[in-house]
Order: sequence, then structure tokens, then C-alpha cells
Amino acid sequence: ARPAPDTLRRARFDRPQASSHCWRLLCSLLKQVHGGKWTEPDAIDIQIRFVKSVLWYHGYGRPELYRLPSDGSAGSRELLLAFSWLLHRISLLEQLLARNRVRTGDETSVCTCEDDLTNSQKGRTEIAPEYSLEDKVDVRYLQWLHGRLRFQWRSLHALHQEQSKLLHKIHLFTSGSHMDKILGHFSVTETELIRQPENYKQLLQFLESETMQLEAFLEWKQLEQVYWHWMVKTREEELQKEEFCAAARKTQEAVELKLLDLTYHCAPKKPKMHGSCRLVFRSKHSASKTGFGRSVSKEPISTVSATEVIRELQMRKASLERELKQLQEECRQRMDEIAEGLDGVICISP
Amino acid sequence: MLPAGCGGRLAAALAAALGDGAERRRELERQAARGRALLGRWDAEDEERQKSDSSSSNGQESRPSPKELEELELLSRALAKALKVRKSIQKTSVEAQGVREGEKAANEGPAPKNAQVQQVPVSSEGVPVTTKVKAVSRKPTSSKKPSSYLLTAPYRTDPDVKKAHRKAPARCMSQAPRTAGKSSSKAVASKQARRHRLTISASNQEVCAAAESQKTDGLSKCGLLEQQSVSLGDSAGGKNLVAAGRQLFDTGKEGCGSLGGSSKKEDHTTEDALGRNSSPQADTLQEKGSRLKFPLPYRKAYSRNSRAWENCRLCQSSADAAAARNRFIERIQTTFCSPMPAFSPAEIEEEVKVLQNVPSLLSQCVEAEHADHPTLQREYESLLTLEGLQTIASQCLHKLQLLREAAESQMRLCPECTGDAGSCCSDSVPPWGQACGSTGVLAEPLLCYTSFQELRDLFALKMQVSMLNQEIAIQKTCREKERKPTTSGSLQVSCTSFCLVLLLFPLLKHALRNATIMCIPLSALLVRAVYGRLCAVLMHRVLRVH
Repeated sequence: ARPAPDTLRRARFDRPQASSHCWRLLCSLLKQVHGGKWTEPDAIDIQIRFVKSVLWYHGYGRPELYRLPSDGSAGSRELLLAFSWLLHRISLLEQLLARNRVRTGDETSVCTCEDDLTNSQKGRTEIAPEYSLEDKVDVRYLQWLHGRLRFQWRSLHALHQEQSKLLHKIHLFTSGSHMDKILGHFSVTETELIRQPENYKQLLQFLESETMQLEAFLEWKQLEQVYWHWMVKTREEELQKEEFCAAARKTQEAVELKLLDLTYHCAPKKPKMHGSCRLVFRSKHSASKTGFGRSVSKEPISTVSATEVIRELQMRKASLERELKQLQEECRQRMDEIAEGLDGVICISP
Repeated sequence: MLPAGCGGRLAAALAAALGDGAERRRELERQAARGRALLGRWDAEDEERQKSDSSSSNGQESRPSPKELEELELLSRALAKALKVRKSIQKTSVEAQGVREGEKAANEGPAPKNAQVQQVPVSSEGVPVTTKVKAVSRKPTSSKKPSSYLLTAPYRTDPDVKKAHRKAPARCMSQAPRTAGKSSSKAVASKQARRHRLTISASNQEVCAAAESQKTDGLSKCGLLEQQSVSLGDSAGGKNLVAAGRQLFDTGKEGCGSLGGSSKKEDHTTEDALGRNSSPQADTLQEKGSRLKFPLPYRKAYSRNSRAWENCRLCQSSADAAAARNRFIERIQTTFCSPMPAFSPAEIEEEVKVLQNVPSLLSQCVEAEHADHPTLQREYESLLTLEGLQTIASQCLHKLQLLREAAESQMRLCPECTGDAGSCCSDSVPPWGQACGSTGVLAEPLLCYTSFQELRDLFALKMQVSMLNQEIAIQKTCREKERKPTTSGSLQVSCTSFCLVLLLFPLLKHALRNATIMCIPLSALLVRAVYGRLCAVLMHRVLRVH
């Protein structure tokens, strides 16, 4: 349910009726941005807790927000301030647009963040109920499971190879047809769409609604200054109501500036490539023929070459292999120690 | 040997990994099926898909459905081809049939050949053939066919029984006129394709032998029937032939199905071969891929959409708006708690992720300096390197210290936001890194590859990295005690290990330098050996606690 425009106005004047709408709005927006799946809307106190956690996570430091009651009865102005801060701080609108983008290409992720997440989540979740802490598990069962896992990886490897072959063929065969010359060829989805357009009516609708959203975003950009002026006035009204003395404010500002300096100084150095990219086939000789010079008139789009990604992956693979070897070596040493302690037993390592 | 809890955890971890793998596999298979469908023939697939809904479960119908008829056609073609093979083998031995052979050879006109064109790629689509075959076997076969079907195709009704046998099922199809309508220039291509197909199937020996023998048996039975029914006249003969044909289909379809099924494996080579051998008008992606265009409504929507994205990407906030915005942000940040911690939880997480890789990098560098250094200059270089490593390590340690302080003050700031005590990321907030987002990216980034080899390597490496990650996680589960790894935990641990490294570095380095300068080779070796061993131990410890 979309909030009425009037909600924002009421929020400025801290009307309680607007509070719960604002909480819900923020909650649904932030859930999208944080990659969560949209589940059934939770109770208001869970939503409030979620919003507070996210704001804290991104470094929002107004204590008034965190003191707001969990029943959603008050705080619409605080929420308005927080919302505006988020708009700028995490480029909320841009993030929303990018995340909900209609993707028709062959998407591949460039980083391995999803792996790290899966493994860390596994580390944190509870043990599955069928394996209680008390049961003794036969080592052979574990070995069998491990063997199955290795076999599974081998078959996945074969599937991946087949997938790459199919993709390459489709890219190769459709080279030169795409209306976007930078892409050059069609993806699987697009080829299917051409073959059977009736299956993809919904895609068309999504595209059109996305275009409308983008146009709305452009309109917002035109009117942005109105919004910020309005917010500054909101802030000013609030300031007038509070009883901060000017000196205290100045001190706070100075400290804030100092800390900002420090923060920027310690920023991570290398911006790494993240996220999902569209796979595009560009053979070497065609690149020199069309010449990238032709696209100079447009802004350069961020492209990543597979060579770079391969290099990074190779480095990562090497470091992971080292780490794995370390762990295995440790294990082996421990096994040796244990084996030494057993009299009259000969241990044959696999 | 395993402590009880550990075993259970391991088993759970392995089972979870297997579950993930199965999901991945399903997804990959689904995508591969899509890809294969696109690379096959488009028109045959279209017909199939249109008719697949009105498929096997239709039950008793008085007239065969179009799908049935199509299946019959395809099977008959397969049989006809097998028959031809058999004929070519038996040609020299059976003189009596010499005339008929000649007739047949002469009559191998466009019609049946055209009909066979589609058999070639279709049977390479193992899955659809087997499903069709199954569908056929489920239907009750009616021995009577309305005569309209018999006469649909513009085929000559010929007293030649063998030919009629081949054609009778062909006549049963509603598709026959369409097939006949296809150009006869396909005949040449189809012959080539068929030959190629035969070569390929010949290489698949077990199946081929079985199929051929089945077909031959069936065909020989048919031969007898044909001989008998020749005198009965056309219509009756037609009916009998159809009945015989159905018998053949029953025997032949297993052959066809198994041929199709086993040749699925050879899909890729087959498709390659077919691709090269197909005529220019063949309806595959390879032929018309470069001429494809989006349908008009989609094209319009797409161009509007991409223009809108481009505009959004390029539009900047006006100076006025930016000024107002900054003013607002400044003012609101003055009301934040002071002093604000230097890092927000999101930033802390990002930094820790980077720092977690540092110990292994450092250890790599230290190990590289392990080697014996023949010259004094090399020795000096190695010392300088170690000194540099020490500086880096101390910087990282300092950063770690700052992060820890920031984390602690953040937790004080909002205790209810932190979830579990002692962890930086509460369960209600999935880490920002999970989302993999970078701000302000309104352009869809492209990943360009220049050759098939590259793409293959890319996929293979990604998979290997995932696999290694999983293995490492499982190994870690092995030796995990009761404590759950937490972010602040790893912060603590990183701090300790770095401290250890830093304490010992200068002492040892000093000793080594002195020994070297005094040119006492023996003691230098000794010191170096000790130093090296100690470094190794330290690094192990550093790694182990992660």
C-alpha cells in the first residue's frame, strides 16, 4: 500500500497518525535494499526493530530515533529525518532502482560474496534436528557424505561446462542482431522472447512499469531541491523548539568534522567489483573492427573483462587452496598425535 | 574418534552442502534445457510445444490427435530410414526384389525425403522423442483409420507395397502437405544429414545394433505381410499395413527411443555436424541468429527503457539541490550522539572482511623470504622486506584496534540493535555485504569475454572457488569447539595474533642483522633457522585462529 503524499506533510508536523505509515514505509523500502525476500508484513514492533537496526547499521546517530516507542504511536518527524538522511547516505532511490532492475541478460556474479554468506550462515544456524548433540556419528557415514559431495561437485563441473558451451553458441549465433550495439548479441532470455513472444508478455509489462519508475525518478531529480529546502526548514523548526545553546552545537560540529576526517582517512583502498553483471561476448577481431572509439561519444559504461575476473578468481583460488592445505595439515598432525598414543596399532593413512 | 557434538555438526554441514548442490544442479539443468531448446530446430519445437498440452492424457479419441499423427510420422520416418539401410545391405543378396529396389530408388522423390528431414534433428532431441514415444505407447491404437487421412497427402497411390508401407503412415499425417510443400532442395541436404546421422549412430554401436535388429525383425515381418496383402488391393492393404506398421512402431519405437536417448549424449557433436550440414533454409538459431529481431512492441519498450536508464544514469543533482541536501545532512549530523564512533557497523564489517585476508598474504610474503640468501645484498633486501611487512602488520593492527573500539562504542550506543551479545551484526539485519551493492550504480555492468575458452575458465574457476570455500567451512566445522565464530571474536583474535607477530619480529631481525654483519656464517644460519621456524609457527598460529 502506497502512503499518501499527505503522510509526509503530516510527518513534518509530527502527527502521530502518520507514524505507523512511516514505519511501514521505511521497513518495506529497507527490506528491499537489504536483499531480504518480502515476507508477510510483520507486526509493527518487529518492523520498528528492523528499521532501527538498519539505521544503526548505517551509522545513524540520533538518539531520539532509538528512543521511539515500539508501538508505532509517535515519531513521524524523527522518521522523516531518518528517511531523508538515508536517501542521501545510501542513495536509497538509486539502490532501489538498481536492485529491482528487470534483467534480461545472462547474469553472472563477479564476486564470491554469496558463497561467504552461505557458509557463514551455516556456521550460525542451529544444528539440524536429526543430528542431536548426543548422538555418535559413524565416521564412515561422514566419509560417505563427503564422497557424495565430491561427486556432486564433479557433476556440477560438467554441467557448468555444458552451460558455458551452450551460452557461447547462442551468443555467437546471434552476434550482430541486438539493437543495442554495445551488447551486440542476444541472451538466452531474449532469444526465447523472440522465438515465443507470447510467453513473455509479463516481461513487457515489467519493462514498461520500470520505464515509468525511471521517468518518475528523473522528475524527482528535477524537483529535488524543493524537497531538501523543505527538509532544512523542518530541521530548523525543530531546532527552534529545542533548547540547544549555540556554543554546544558548534562544539559538536567541530568534533563531527574531526571524526569525519579520520573516517575518510581509513577508508578501504580498493573499490572491488561486486554484484551481478550481464555476460557479453566480444570476440577480439570484432572489437578492433567496430572500434571502441565509436562509443566514445557516449559515457563509458562500466565493463569488466573476463580476464581480470579470471585473474582475481585465480588468486582467490590459490589463497583458498593454501588455507585448505593448512587446515588439512593441522588435522593430519592431530591425527598423528592421536595415532602415536595408541599402542600396537598401525595407522594407514588414506 | 570424533567428539559427539562435532560429528553431528559435520553431518549437518555436509547434508546442507549436499542440499545446496542439488539446488544448484537443478537450476543448471533447467538453464541447459533452455539453451538446448534454443539451439535446436525452432519450427519442430514450436509444433511440439503447441501440441504438448493436448498430450498423452487425452485418453480415448476416435480420431488420432495431430500430435499422435506427428509422432507416427516421425517414427515412420525412422523406420523408413532403417529400412533403407537394410535395403542397401540386402541389395546384392536379394535379386527378386531388384525391380522393386529400382522402383524405390527412382521413387525416392522429394516427398518421403522431405518427410525424413525432420527426423534427423528431432531424434537428436532425445528428450522430446522419448516423451513422444511414451505418449504413443500409452495411446490405444485404433486399427481403423478414416480414409480421409489416407488420401490427404499428394502422394501417388502406388501398387508398390513397400513404398505404400512407408507412405501409408506418411499419409496419416495432417502435416504431410506442409512437409511436401517444403522445397526439394532439402533433399540433398537431408541425404547428407542422414548419412551423417547414420555415421554417428553407427558409432554408437550397442544401441544401433539393437535398434537395427529390432527394426529388421519388424521389417521382415512387415515384408511378409506386405507380400500377402499385395493382392488384397489398396484400401485393405492400407489398413493392414497400418496395423503392421503399428506393430513395427511398437518394436521400432524402443529402438528409436533408445537411439534418441543415447544420442542425447552426442547432442553437441551431432548438433555441430548438423549445423554444418543443414541447408541454408534450415530453421536453426545458427542460420538465422544474426537476422533475429525483437518483436515490435518489445523493441519499443526496450528502447524507451534503455533511454530512460541512460538519462537517469547521467542526470546529476542540480547545484542548488546538492547544497540544500548537504546543509540538511550537516545539520542533522550535529545532533548525532557525540562523540560518534569512527566507523558505522557497515564500515566495520567491510574493513574486517578486508583484514581477514591479510594474515595469509603476510605469511606468504614471509615464507618467500625464507629461502637462503646467497649474497649479502640479497640478505639485506630480505631484511628490508621483512621490515616493510612489519610496518604493514602494525598498521593493520592499529586499524583493528580502532575497529574494535568503534564496535564497542556502537554496541553501547544501541544495545538493542546488536542482537546477540558480542556480535556486530544482529540477525535481524542481514549484512550489507550480502547485498553486494555499491552506491550509485545505475549502469548495468557488463562482463565481456573474448573466447569460449575464457568463458569456460571463468565458470570453472567460480565453481572451484565455491567448492574450496565450502571445503574450508567444513574443515573449520571439524575443529570448531562450542563457541560460535563472531565478528568481534575474530577481531579479538586478529589482534592477538598480530601482537605476537610484532613482538617477535624486531628481536629476531636484530639478531639476524648482527649475525650477518659480523659475518659469522654458522651462527647466522642457526639464527636464520630459528627465526624461520618461529615465523612459521607464528603464522600457523595466526592462521589457525581464523
